[in-house]
Amino acid sequence: MSTPALSPGADGPAVPAAGGRPLLRQVLRERRRPAVVSTLGGVVHQTCEAFVPVLIGVLVDRAIERRDAGELVLWIVVLALLFALLTTAYRVQLLTLVGGLERGEHDLRTALARRVLAAAGIAAPPRPGAVRADVGGSAGAQVTVAGSDARRTVDVLEAVSVGGAAIAAIVVTAAVLLATSLPLGLLVLLGTPPLLYALQLLARPLERRSGVDQARAAEAAGVATDLASGLRVLKGIGAERAGAERYRVASRRALDAAVRAGVAQNLLLGANVLISGAFLAIVAWVGGRLALDGTISIGELVAAVGLTQFLVGPLQRLAFASTLLAESRAAADRVSALLQAAPDREDPRAAEPARGRAEAVPSAVALAVAPTPAGTPGLQVAAGEHLGVVAADPAASSALVDLLAHRGEAPPGALRVDGRPTSDLALDDARGLVLVADHDAALFSGTVRDNVLAAAGPVHDLAAVLDASGADEAVRAIPGGLDGQVGERGRSLSGGQRQRVALARALAASPPVLVLHEPTTAVDAVTEARIASGVRRLRDGATTVVVATSPSLLAACDRVVLLGDDGVVAEGTHAELVQREDAYRAAVLS
Amino acid sequence: MSAPDVPATGGRPDGGRPVATADLLPTAEPREARRVVARLVADRPGLGLASLLVLVGGAAAGLAVPPLLGLVVDIVADDRGTGDLAVAAGLLLAAALVQALLTGVGGQLVVRLGESVLADLRERVVGRALRIPLRRVERAGSGDLLSRIGGDVEIVSRAISATVPTIAGAGLTVGLTVVGLVVLDWRLALAALAAAPIQVLALRAYLRDAVPVYRRQRVLEGERTQQLLDAFAGAPTSRALRIGDARLERVRETSGAARDEALHGFRLLARMFPKLNGAELVGLSAVVVAGFLLVDAGTISVGTATAGALYFHRAFDPIGTLLMLVDDIQEATTALARLVGVASIEPPEDPAEPATARDGEVVLRGVGHEHVPGHPVLHDVDLRIAPGERVALIGTTGAGKTTLARLVCGIDRPTRGSILIGGATLDELGPTRAADTVLLVTQEVHVFAGTLGDDLRLARPDATDDELHAALATVGADGWVRALPEGLATVVGEGGREPTTTQAQQLALARLVLRDPLVAVLDEATAESGSAGARELERSADGALAGRTALVVAHRLKQAATADRVVVLEAGRVVEQGPHDELVAAGGPYARLWGAWASARER
Repeated sequence: MSTPALSPGADGPAVPAAGGRPLLRQVLRERRRPAVVSTLGGVVHQTCEAFVPVLIGVLVDRAIERRDAGELVLWIVVLALLFALLTTAYRVQLLTLVGGLERGEHDLRTALARRVLAAAGIAAPPRPGAVRADVGGSAGAQVTVAGSDARRTVDVLEAVSVGGAAIAAIVVTAAVLLATSLPLGLLVLLGTPPLLYALQLLARPLERRSGVDQARAAEAAGVATDLASGLRVLKGIGAERAGAERYRVASRRALDAAVRAGVAQNLLLGANVLISGAFLAIVAWVGGRLALDGTISIGELVAAVGLTQFLVGPLQRLAFASTLLAESRAAADRVSALLQAAPDREDPRAAEPARGRAEAVPSAVALAVAPTPAGTPGLQVAAGEHLGVVAADPAASSALVDLLAHRGEAPPGALRVDGRPTSDLALDDARGLVLVADHDAALFSGTVRDNVLAAAGPVHDLAAVLDASGADEAVRAIPGGLDGQVGERGRSLSGGQRQRVALARALAASPPVLVLHEPTTAVDAVTEARIASGVRRLRDGATTVVVATSPSLLAACDRVVLLGDDGVVAEGTHAELVQREDAYRAAVLS
Repeated sequence: MSAPDVPATGGRPDGGRPVATADLLPTAEPREARRVVARLVADRPGLGLASLLVLVGGAAAGLAVPPLLGLVVDIVADDRGTGDLAVAAGLLLAAALVQALLTGVGGQLVVRLGESVLADLRERVVGRALRIPLRRVERAGSGDLLSRIGGDVEIVSRAISATVPTIAGAGLTVGLTVVGLVVLDWRLALAALAAAPIQVLALRAYLRDAVPVYRRQRVLEGERTQQLLDAFAGAPTSRALRIGDARLERVRETSGAARDEALHGFRLLARMFPKLNGAELVGLSAVVVAGFLLVDAGTISVGTATAGALYFHRAFDPIGTLLMLVDDIQEATTALARLVGVASIEPPEDPAEPATARDGEVVLRGVGHEHVPGHPVLHDVDLRIAPGERVALIGTTGAGKTTLARLVCGIDRPTRGSILIGGATLDELGPTRAADTVLLVTQEVHVFAGTLGDDLRLARPDATDDELHAALATVGADGWVRALPEGLATVVGEGGREPTTTQAQQLALARLVLRDPLVAVLDEATAESGSAGARELERSADGALAGRTALVVAHRLKQAATADRVVVLEAGRVVEQGPHDELVAAGGPYARLWGAWASARER
């Protein structure tokens, strides 16, 4: 795919860079100002922090040792000024950094959401049940990318800011030490990189192991939420004890993993303490000898020791920044993969502005489906006709419904509306002509009314729509009625209520062609009969295709076609087909 | 398995939906929560004591450093020679060694202690949560339970693995710094305390202003995750309806709100730092001035004054750490109280001598039920199902079919009347025996994450692969399971292979077969898959129900036609019952239903 389906001009990266590293560079480029300002703030702050022990040394040297009150006052004033600068610089670093992080995260998340919701869709994984390493997979995986990976990607700003400030602090410390005493300065300068390297060397395998262990520990949480999500099912088969036992096993495994992770982490912590402590002892010894020689003053010794102690902080922050950078790279790879995910179907006119494109369409249009090599049979639907479609093989009806829904690639001209191939149209316009209502369509959190009117035009008859879909009865049973909340993905409603509200939503959209795919699988027989006649009445004169095997729905159609292996094998009214076609009876009545 | 459905932010799945607090699962008093944890720690006295001693030792070794550095200063000031210097440097090295050892070991002990306490607690919580009456969980909203065993457990475990060791380390350092200063000279310690009032004021202002902001921020992050899940899971639908822009706008709104609240929180944080830095300045200056005066008076050496200043400087970071973590501790305490609340619910107990169902006979005598007092759902239902008989329950939405099904399975207790299974009431059977005797499969599909074999073995943990295959064959699912490249070892559920609705429901029926109850209740168990799937499932159900007493809540009248007897429920009352043919001939409500159905079939 050449250009990702992201509208230009909106916030977020306009043209997302391909690949993790280019994306990180792009984030840094777009957030130049916070990156630079917060790094500068960090540099100043760290430099000030480095000067606190130096000033302590000066105070010891000039005021305490010499018992000079004037010097004491002078240097305490200097200390106060240093603190004022320190705290201001930190404030600048913090506020610019989090400003960049929070805004960058939000913009990236918006771009990701735009990609996921784009009309072009995301190509399904190559084969069903493929390992979900690819981001095109479950919504949950996509939420993880847009939820936490977006933040981790933007964390590159923090890595730069914190890492830059830490390097500055190390340089300043070294410079002060060099100015104080060449041997001490060299000792710290030359001693630090090997120390840093040793710590990294030690840290990497330990961190890797602790990462693996932590992931294992998190599995227990997954088991618990899985059991709780299936609580009704679990209780239905009386498997509470088996479930609890399964959780106990997972929990013990997580405990072992967490303890192992703790061993690794604390080993590293201990090594850290030992190395920096030993280094301090060496500096104290060398510095002490220099002071005994009279090469440096006591104050300079205190400053050198204080600086060595201080150095632990920047060193740790530098390690933190490098870890952060690694995480950021990994996250950016996933973010970029989703932003660049192959489309389910190319949107021919995605780049054009949405407004002023749709043409006026008559209320009743004819529909023609050309036979495709993939096995979709040819179909003709007259303007205003109600056509029933029955397929002996559910896969055949799914393929037909996908084609009508403009899902997946299809040859040009596979679908024509009033003789015009829809492959020329922008996907949104094509779907505006032919609306496919799936039997498992999702509801969105909000009120019942929000959902029913989600796609409704300005002119709609809510009461008629609720009546035709049988949703009125469902609404009466929902606490709060039309203004009742449906919950996350409509989960507060029963399957039957959800299905009827979704049907009402499709009817309210009042499209030129409406395709209903098994719209009544979750409702009882009485309600189904009501819906069949309600839909027939409401869409009278409007082209409607019902892909179903329910006799009630099919009986309400003008014409029914039966799809076999070689396309349309029989057609007629429901009653005719029931009389004369064994295959039809087998598909519909068995 | 990564369970990406569960937001890592600890977001509440019930989001912003208002839930009356009276209905939520109980939350323990903080005191009770602390007591429970203290008891769990007390169960491991050796580990607890060892952790404490080792950590104190480690912090003490660290605090030997400033006086040793002071000693170096004194050696130089008094010009005592390199021998003394070498001893001082050697002591510094030894202190580092001891501190490193004790810190490393102490940290491990704390993790071991904390994690094993947490493991006990979470197992108890989940064990209880699974045994709480379903009605109780439903009243609270399933989001409440999910957020406790998901979000709250995570918050507490994060606190145990990260916050508690950090706080222990920082707290010990600060505490021992004060001790160290007192040992150096009590007047230095007094001077250092000049910082304390400023720190207390800064902390109080922070807790007052920032903590509510953080709480709101977490709620907003939860909503953001929910909105993303809503939008992404519904992406195919919003594409079909061309409402992607509206969904995107909702995501942008909630994400923007979370962003703004986070920035608000950071501005409050930025307001606190100058105060903390001010406290450091005041304390450090006070210690230096006190050192100056004491050295001037000849009371202490320059080295001691230096050690005092270095001591105080070393405590900067730990004090900052402690102040920043106060909120985390409050949050973890709240989460802990919610966990202990669930752990303290007493699940229904088995009777001392549980009765045994003599056979699969089901008898309902004058059963009435109200979910909300004054709003009866069932009235005076009398029904007898003979052992091995199959009864279809028919009625429109709201007629009370599901309520009746749940009463028979003992999931809800009837408000009036009694229910007997094989001659014994559900209370006489007790929850364990009842769960072996009468089971429910609903239209709700859930495939438990793990392998197919794991999923099925929830029903019978000790089942062999052959037994699993036999159960699958009974429900007509052995074919597709064997066709999977990895068969029973195929990973299903979240993060794995997504079985179709029909396949998932076949698995549910196979679990029923494995449990092998005398009585089975199917509540529209074939409804959610398409028509073709429904027919396949009806065959699966036939296999699963063979030889059992069965109550089948049916959508499709065909299921009724093949049952031994049909019971028609209207507005909570049994209006008609009898074999299909008799009822059709009788011309009552069932005949009218059948007429609508049959005419559609034949028109």
